[in-house]
Amino acid sequence: MITRSLRLRAAALALIGVTSLVSQNATAHGVVGDRFFPATIASDDPFAADELALPTISLGNHEEDYEFEYSKTLLPHFSVSFEGGYVNARPPGEPHASGWDNLEITPTWQFVTDADSEFVASAEMGFEIGGSGSRAVTDMFTTYTPKFLFGKGFGDLTDSLVLLRPLAVTGVIGYAMPGASREPSTLQWSGAVEYSLLYLQNNVFNVGFSNVVAHLTPVVEFAMETPTGAGGGGTTGTINPGLLWSGQYTQLGIEAVVPVNRASGSNVGVLMQLHFYIDDLFPHTLGTPIFGGRN
Amino acid sequence: MKRLVLALIIAGFCGPAAAHAFLEKATPSAGANLRVAPAKIELSFSEALEPAFSGVTVTNTASRDMSTAPSVASGTQMSLSLGMLKPGRYSVRWHAVSVDAHRTDGHYDFTVLP
Repeated sequence: MITRSLRLRAAALALIGVTSLVSQNATAHGVVGDRFFPATIASDDPFAADELALPTISLGNHEEDYEFEYSKTLLPHFSVSFEGGYVNARPPGEPHASGWDNLEITPTWQFVTDADSEFVASAEMGFEIGGSGSRAVTDMFTTYTPKFLFGKGFGDLTDSLVLLRPLAVTGVIGYAMPGASREPSTLQWSGAVEYSLLYLQNNVFNVGFSNVVAHLTPVVEFAMETPTGAGGGGTTGTINPGLLWSGQYTQLGIEAVVPVNRASGSNVGVLMQLHFYIDDLFPHTLGTPIFGGRN
Repeated sequence: MKRLVLALIIAGFCGPAAAHAFLEKATPSAGANLRVAPAKIELSFSEALEPAFSGVTVTNTASRDMSTAPSVASGTQMSLSLGMLKPGRYSVRWHAVSVDAHRTDGHYDFTVLP
């Protein structure tokens, strides 16, 4: 009887230990240690999470895009995202073109999550499936894009730089390889610099922001492309200053889209997104990995 | 499509379950310079906490625990009773597991003035 009781107690303690370990390692959308990274709009963020961006609306430079992205965790720290949208383009001097964009499927492996240094890194492999969209606005060949992504919060800065602790950066570098030999490959580099008012208020000093204001993150994103093959032209891209507001279950974002040169566009556009944290909305069903338990 | 977005917006803002427990209010607050030493730390979160897996500690610059009892979590609140704090700088470290098992962490400093 005593042996059975001891066994039960040992099993209970082991269960508590395992549960506690899982809890200690638990991360979800954008949380690394003390840091919450909001989902960025123009550049990918480095998290394998359950989330939905619907819609992402881009207006300006003679084109309107209405996009979605759904990301689902299959295993802890491993997700697959599905991205697509509708394009309505009116390039000057060219015929109006509209239709569905190609579907892009991207597995993401978040292979480093270090809470103490607020650092996260992941690897992705994007497959834009040629011919899955409308012929009028998409390529008929598949493009393969391996990417490296990272995020770093600066909460570990010294006391003399205490006001910079709310800063964080994210970055992505990818190499897009078209499945058609005549098309040039492209180096894609993008990222974000963000200043978390929540981090400032909770971890540095109390500014007295209301809860609504404290959940704002001023951000500057950039998204660039540099063709690497002959005839690909020069670097194009945009710089996007904006604001992200992160609630308990949703996030709202709005950014100006400023072309970096004439080849990137001639006027300033707007980028808007409504984002859902599926792991918080549906924590026991859609919001957990299909295999292997909670993220 | 519009109906789907609308349904998600309603679910998103009305929130059917629980989410990450973010710190909403702390007493004393981050970076505070206090003329009177606090008798306890009180933290308020955006979500209900799982008491067994949530906690807070307060240490001085020598990493000595300044509490007089284990921290207590109930509902969205967490507190920790403190001994007599001498003038100096103190670090508050908390971890909060919401009732749906999402974990958040945080730390900040406050100072008791001479």
